[in-house]
Order: sequence, then structure tokens, then C-alpha cells
Amino acid sequence: MPKLEILRGTLDLLILKAVSWGPMHGYSVAQWIERATNDLLRIEEGTLYPALHRLENREWIAAEWGRSENNQRAKFYSLTAKGRAQLRVEVKSWTAYSNAVFEALAAPAKPA
Amino acid sequence: MKNSSHDLSRAPAWRRYLTFWRTPIARDVDDELRFHTSMRVNEFMARGMTEDEARRAVAERLGDMNAVQSACVELSEVRERNKRNAALLDAFRNDLRYAIRGLRARPGFAAAIIVTLGLGIGANAAVFSVVDRLLFRTAPMLRDASRTHRIYFSYPKPDHDGAFTLGEIPYAHYRTIAETSGSFVRAAAFGAGHSLVGAPDEGRDMQVAGVTAGFFDFFNAPPRLGRYFNQREDVLPSGEPVVVLSYAMWQTEYGGRDDVLGAKIQIGRTYTVIGVAPRWFAGVWTAEPPVAYIPFAAYGASMNYVGRGDTWWTANGLNIAGVLMTRKPGVSIETATTDLTYLMRQSWNSTDRPSDSTLQPSAIIRSTLPERGPRPTEVAQVATLVGAMAIVVLLIAGANVANLLLARALRRRREIAVRLALGISRRRLVSQLITETLLLASLGGIAGLLVARWGGPALRAKFVTSTADTSVVTDARTLMFVGLAVLIAGVATGLAPAWQAGRLDVTRFLRIGAREGMLQRSPLRASLLVVQGALSVLLLIAAGLFVRSLDQARHLHMGYDVDRLLIVGTNMRGVRLDSARSHDLWERLTNASRTVPAVERVSIARDIPLLEIAIANIKRPPEMDSLRFARLPLMVQNVVMPGFFETMGTRILRGRALDSTDVPGSMRAAVVSSRFAQTFWPGQNAIGQCVMNQRGVCSYVVGVAEDIRYMWMNDDPAMQLYTSAAQTPLRQPNLFVRVRGDAAPHAERVRAVLQREMPGASYVTVTPYSDVVGHAMKSWQLGATVFVAFGLLAMLLAAIGLYSAISYNVTQRTHEMGVRRALGAQAADVIQLVMRQALLLGGLGVALGAVLAFVAADRIEPMLFKTSARDPLVFALVIVAMLGVAIAASFVPARRAASVDPNIALRSE
Repeated sequence: MPKLEILRGTLDLLILKAVSWGPMHGYSVAQWIERATNDLLRIEEGTLYPALHRLENREWIAAEWGRSENNQRAKFYSLTAKGRAQLRVEVKSWTAYSNAVFEALAAPAKPA
Repeated sequence: MKNSSHDLSRAPAWRRYLTFWRTPIARDVDDELRFHTSMRVNEFMARGMTEDEARRAVAERLGDMNAVQSACVELSEVRERNKRNAALLDAFRNDLRYAIRGLRARPGFAAAIIVTLGLGIGANAAVFSVVDRLLFRTAPMLRDASRTHRIYFSYPKPDHDGAFTLGEIPYAHYRTIAETSGSFVRAAAFGAGHSLVGAPDEGRDMQVAGVTAGFFDFFNAPPRLGRYFNQREDVLPSGEPVVVLSYAMWQTEYGGRDDVLGAKIQIGRTYTVIGVAPRWFAGVWTAEPPVAYIPFAAYGASMNYVGRGDTWWTANGLNIAGVLMTRKPGVSIETATTDLTYLMRQSWNSTDRPSDSTLQPSAIIRSTLPERGPRPTEVAQVATLVGAMAIVVLLIAGANVANLLLARALRRRREIAVRLALGISRRRLVSQLITETLLLASLGGIAGLLVARWGGPALRAKFVTSTADTSVVTDARTLMFVGLAVLIAGVATGLAPAWQAGRLDVTRFLRIGAREGMLQRSPLRASLLVVQGALSVLLLIAAGLFVRSLDQARHLHMGYDVDRLLIVGTNMRGVRLDSARSHDLWERLTNASRTVPAVERVSIARDIPLLEIAIANIKRPPEMDSLRFARLPLMVQNVVMPGFFETMGTRILRGRALDSTDVPGSMRAAVVSSRFAQTFWPGQNAIGQCVMNQRGVCSYVVGVAEDIRYMWMNDDPAMQLYTSAAQTPLRQPNLFVRVRGDAAPHAERVRAVLQREMPGASYVTVTPYSDVVGHAMKSWQLGATVFVAFGLLAMLLAAIGLYSAISYNVTQRTHEMGVRRALGAQAADVIQLVMRQALLLGGLGVALGAVLAFVAADRIEPMLFKTSARDPLVFALVIVAMLGVAIAASFVPARRAASVDPNIALRSE
């Protein structure tokens, strides 16, 4: 089955969700997204890192250098308080949005 | 893999060392991406790919590695910058809070500095707003200001060295130049003069400009209402009667109503209003904006030129057109000057009667500002000098402030040493101190704006004799200037204390006690006091010299009574009178003015001394050699009616005045000035001598009058010849009215009485003679008032500086004084001790200032009037005054030092 491209704008939401579980580096964010979506969503990995930096600039996530599991220098991202608030907002609006689209798709030809 | 250079994990080991030379940001981004790559490669290899396959797969997933990398670097840089700025802002906020706290703790100290800087900056802002308007700021809305010029022409003098320069040329020459020159994109002619606007009985004399249609293209100023006139309306001989009003005129006379278009307004002829210029539009007349703009042809026709066979636009002697031009881009001023000179000479030589073939004009390209013509005007010179003086005042204020800050820094050395010991970095410390002085300077700047707001208009009124509303109160350029002054003052005055704090020896000041730490002498502070005193002396001497000049000018014997005279001129506005009726009119005016009770005497003459001159055409007497005759000073002739000398107050030294016996048919009579008589007939009796005109007709001298000033005040008295109006044709005369007491208050009464006699639309103007003379004295008057104000300000600042420095020293030495008193010193001894120091500083300052003034004398001398720039009286007075101030400023603190109670002083430890 061909993998789905991630919709524009949802990558930020997924990153925020990923790091909400605890500090992680970019590679594990990518891994988490793949696993959490049952390998259905494909991330263009080239866009992942600029997205991480952008979120860091907005102070939704904070970064810190540390050592990875195999003792390599790696940059760990964690959710800030500001990011957590943003995550809540985005989850709410995404849910509302997708529900609306579902409703539309399920609706009969002439709504009553 | 596209970008092997980024594939550092596979690069040879030595290449990794390159990372050390890269910026930390690029290195971090590299590390992050390399970590990702290596993790992925491991993952894929664990799933069974070979290393090469794995690398390819990873590269494919990452896409354009370069783009990713540069995007990340860019974002990181933004982040770093924001962080740095936030940190700076934070530090600044802290410094500011610290500074405010420090100032609130010592309100007296803060107030002294703010007031001092306020006076200094305010004086500068006020002067700047004037000097800027006079010398730098081009007319509002002017397009291509750097390439737009007023053109002047200089003519060599026929029998003297040098040349004279005119800002206007005959209209015909303007047309030739404007139509043939290839160096310019635009050209326009302009002229302006006072004219009665409105009906004769209720109108007012106001500035009216005549401009060619192209004039408005020089400005980026679409009309506020209606339109400007065009070339078809600016046609010879007299143009269409259309007028564009100024915004101010529209507001005051027409209440800003739209239906002003089509309204009729009388300016000589009756004009129709076709447009209103935008607000602040002033053409090139920024000092006195015209109230109305009429076509140049109408302006030329309003001159009522009466010539022999020529017209106002062909007359070779009627210099009427000011010339405004914009150079083509890329054409240099030199090229344009050459071009204009060539065209002007061609045009000049092609006219029917070249007035003099040796008069070959040359073009001079200058600024559009009237004060920036080919010759610097006296007002411009004084303005420049005043600008320099204002800066000196600011320097004095700055020295004062630096001194106060330095004194405080000395007092705070221990505190600063403690803070340094506690770990504050010297950089933070210096930035704190600079922030503090910048805050003080900013507050001083605000105070300065208040001072300038109050003083600026007063100063401007002195320089610009404008009645129109020209001032722009909220002025961006002045504000910018104040901002700059604040910045410089803040940094400069804060530098010395900060520098001192920066190199403080911490351990030394922690070890010694508070008292010893302050007893050190500061050579820097002492020299600031000396400099300040010297600069004040300099200013005061300049002020004194101008006061002396003004005094000299006022008491100069003009050869006539200035204050008691009114001058009456007529403007016939096209009402034509034949000579009999003209004679009749002047007779009636003379009689009418005699009916005014205060009027003592009335007479008529052709020219007004100081305003108008006519050169006497005298033939060389056979006994005088021609070389000597050619080198004689200018000879001036005036044509007068009986009673002229008595009216003017000019004394007849020998013989008689011209009187009613000098009639046509009788002997032609002349009165000459004393200098005239001495030059032509040295050692002889002038009475009865013949003065021959060019046609060989003799006038016989019947009297010798005292010398009078005929032109500028600093010129030599004239070689003056008077002839009788009954025997010489008298065109365009003026009425001279002598009043009992001061003439100026009677001007309006006389005008009202005389206006009744005027036929049709013609009208009279009545000017107190003192206004005419006052104009000639303006630069000295200006120099005297402004310099005195600045000199006193400087002296005040210097006194404050000395006082605060001495009293500060006294406070620091309280303990020492106590010891001295305890050991038996008398109060007088202590006073002497303190004052000796003050007088030493004051004396040094005065001496230095006097020497400076002595050296600079040659630069001021040309601006003075009959006063030496090394005038001993002025020098002596200033020196005495300044020493007196030094004594006064130090006496109060000295008394305080003497009154120290030894018990208290010793116990206060």
C-alpha cells in the first residue's frame, strides 16, 4: 500500500504530540510518527528538521544537547508549557475539522 | 549521494577537524543531521540492507540535503539573534531601572544636570531651527533640490576693481537663456514685491509674487484647490488677470471656503482667483511667503515701466526676473555655468543698445536660499557665528555636567569597588553608568525642547522679519538635531566617569577608608572648570563687542535726524498724471501733511538716503588730472525742494540752502557736501564754484552741507551733490515729513490724511525712517541681543559649575577643615584657603579665554562696526565681571567651610 503524504500543517501537530511523551531527538520523533500511525503516514524527513527548528523558534518546544542511547551527541526536544497549550488548541481544532469533513462525506445528496 | 561534503560520517578523519572552524550554529545543525543519518543507516542495515543501499535509502528520504541544512541554519540564526536581543533589552531595562533609582535618590543632583543640559540643548535647538531655515533647508516641496538653483549674474565694475552681482536680469535675457540652454530641464522666472492687496482704502501691503507658469513645476505641490495658471495665461504684454492664493491667505481672508474660486481680488488690477496653493507652499520665499501668485507678465506690467521706445520686457536696464533652473542629471555645475555665461553674453551683446560693451556678465549658480547667494549676507554671517556660539554654550553645559558626574563618580568609588569585588563585570558597570548619563541627557533634551519652544520663536523673529505664519512648530529636523545632541552629550559626559570606574583599582579602594578615598585631587575636573571659564569669557567678549558695535551704530552721526522722519512714497498703480497734475498732487500732499498737528516741516526729494542713490554725472574740471578724477569715490546726486535740509536736519555749514529763489531761469544753484567741497576745491572757498554736468552746463555752488551717510552704514560719507527740483527734472519723488518727537507713532495718522488726496486706485505708503535705518543695523542688533543672551547664559552656567565644584570640595574637606579649626585656624584663614583655589581656577579660565578672544579677533572684526575686536574696555569689563562671578561663586561655600564646628566635624567619623 502506498504511503500517505502528510498534510501541510499537520506535521507540527504530530511533532508536538510526539514530544509530549518526553524529550526525544529528531530521529525518534520520526520513528514515533511512523509507528503511531501504523506506518501509514510517510514523513518527508527533509521537512522534519526545519519544522523542529521552527517550533523551537516559536518556543513551543525547547532543545537541549545530550547523549543518545548509543552515546552519540544528539539534540533532544521537549514540550514547553507554551507548546502544551498550543497542542491542546491544535488537537481540538484538528478534531473539529476532521469531524466536519467526515460529516460531509457521510451526508446524503440533499441534506434535510 | 549528491552532497558528499555534508556526508561527514564517511569523510576521512582529518576532515572532521574542519568542524572546529565552522560556526557553532552550522556545527550543531551538521551534528543533528549526521546523528539522524547514522541512526537510520543502522536501522536499515539491521533490516538487512547493505551499507550502500542503506545510505542511498536514507538520502532519498531526506531529500535535498543542502536545502534542509540551510533552512535549519537560517532558523537557528534567527533564534540566536532573538535571544541576544532579548538579553540586551533585559540588561538595558535593568540599567534603566538602576539609573532611575539612583536619580530619585539624589533629586537635587539630577535637577542640576537636567536644567544645565536643558539650557545648553535648548539654546542649540533654538539656534539650529533658525540657522537651518536660513542656510540649509530648501524651500518646502522643492523637487530635485540638489540640482535646482537660483542663477545670479556678476558684472565687472567699469572703473573699479571687482564686480557687482545681481540676482535679477532683464526679462528678454531670461527668455533667451531659458529657451536655448540645453543644460537644464526646467526654468522659471520669478519676482516679488509688496503691493496693496484689496481696495485702496481698506487693503494692506502684502508680499505678492509674479512667476512664470513653469515655476510651479519646480515643486511637488499640487494645488489645494483649483489649478495653477498656464503658459497661455502668462502672455505678453500683461498676462491674464488670474491669481493663485496662498493657503494662509485663503484661510484668513476667505475662511477656507471652496467658493473662493472665481472670486475677484484687487492687486492693482482686478484678478480672478483660479486656485489655492497647498499649505506650507512658499515658493522660494521661505522668509516671507507671498500671499498671492500672479503670472509673471502681469507682474512685469505692474511695474508701470515708462521707457523710451522699449517695454518692460525688452528694457535692458530693468532687472526684473529672478531665474530658477534645474540642471539636467549628469550636467555638472561648471558645465551649466559655462553654458549660461555664454548664452547670457550672446543675448547681452545682441540687444539694440548694449549699455556698455565692457560689461560682460558671468553666470553664478547658487542655492535657492536667499541667504546663500554669491556674497554671504551679514545676517548669514551672524547666524553662522551664533551657531558656533550656541555650540560653545553646549560645551560649557557639557563640561558642567561632566564635572558633576565626575565628582559623584569620585564619591562613589568605594561603592563601585565593592560592586566590582562582588562580581559585577566592568562592562556591565560601564554600560550602567552610560545608561545613567543617557537618561539624564534625554531628560535634559526634553527640558531643552521646552526652552527652544519658548526661545525659538523669539530668536526666529529677530532673524526673519516675517509677518506671515511660516513657523513649523513640530519640526522633524529640529527634533532630530536635539536627539543627536542628547546622544552626544550623554555619551561624552558619561565617558569620563565610566572610564574612571572601568580602571578602578579594587583592592586599593576596599582597603582604604571612605574619607581618604575622596580626598584626591582630580586634574580632569580642574581643567574642565578652566575650559568652561575660558569659553564663557570668549562668549562674553563677543557679546560685548557687538554691544559696542550697536552703540557705535546708534550714535553714528548720519547727517540727518533718523527718529523724527517719516518717508512718504506713492504707488500710482497705473493712474497716469501729466506733469502739471503730478505737481499739483505733490503740492496737495505737502499741504495735507502740514495739517497733521505733530508735523513740523515737510519737503520733497527724489532719493531717500540709505535706500536709493543716483550717480552724479559730473564732468572733470579742467584743473583736475584725469587719473585722479577716475579714482574719486562715488559721487551721488539728489534733487530736492526748498526746505529739504531743515526737514532732514542736515546742517548747512557755509552759504545757504536751496530755496524758493532757485527757479527756472535764474542761476542754476547747487549745494555740495563738505567732502565734495574739500575734494574738488581743497583750501578754497567752494561757494561760487562751478559744478559742470556732462553737457557742459554749470551749476554754481551756493552752500556746503554736512556729510551724510548715503548707502551702507559702514561706508565713507558720500561726495554728495544737491540740485534744485525747480531746475532739474524730478521724477518719482518722495515726501519727507519731520515730526515733533518720535515719528513712528504718527505714521498711520499721516497715511490716513494723505490717502484722501490720492486719485483712483493709487495709494501712499508711510514708513518711519528709523525702520529703514534699523534694517541696515539689523546684523549688529542681532549680534548684540543674541550674544548678550548667550554670554549671560554661559556666565550663569560657569558660575553654577564653579559653585558646585567648590562646594563639593568643601563638603569633602569638612573633616580637614575641622582639624584646621581645632588646631587654631581662624575662619578667615579657612575662607582664604578655599577661595584661593577657586580664584586660581577662575583666573586661569579668564586668562585663557582672554587669550583665545585676542587670537580670534581677526575673525570677528569684519562683522563689527567701528569697534576693534580687541577693544580694551570690553576685555577689561568681561575679565572683571568673570572674576567677580568666581569670587561670588566660591564665597558661599567658603563661608560654609569656615563655619564648620570642629567638634562635629571630628566626631562625624
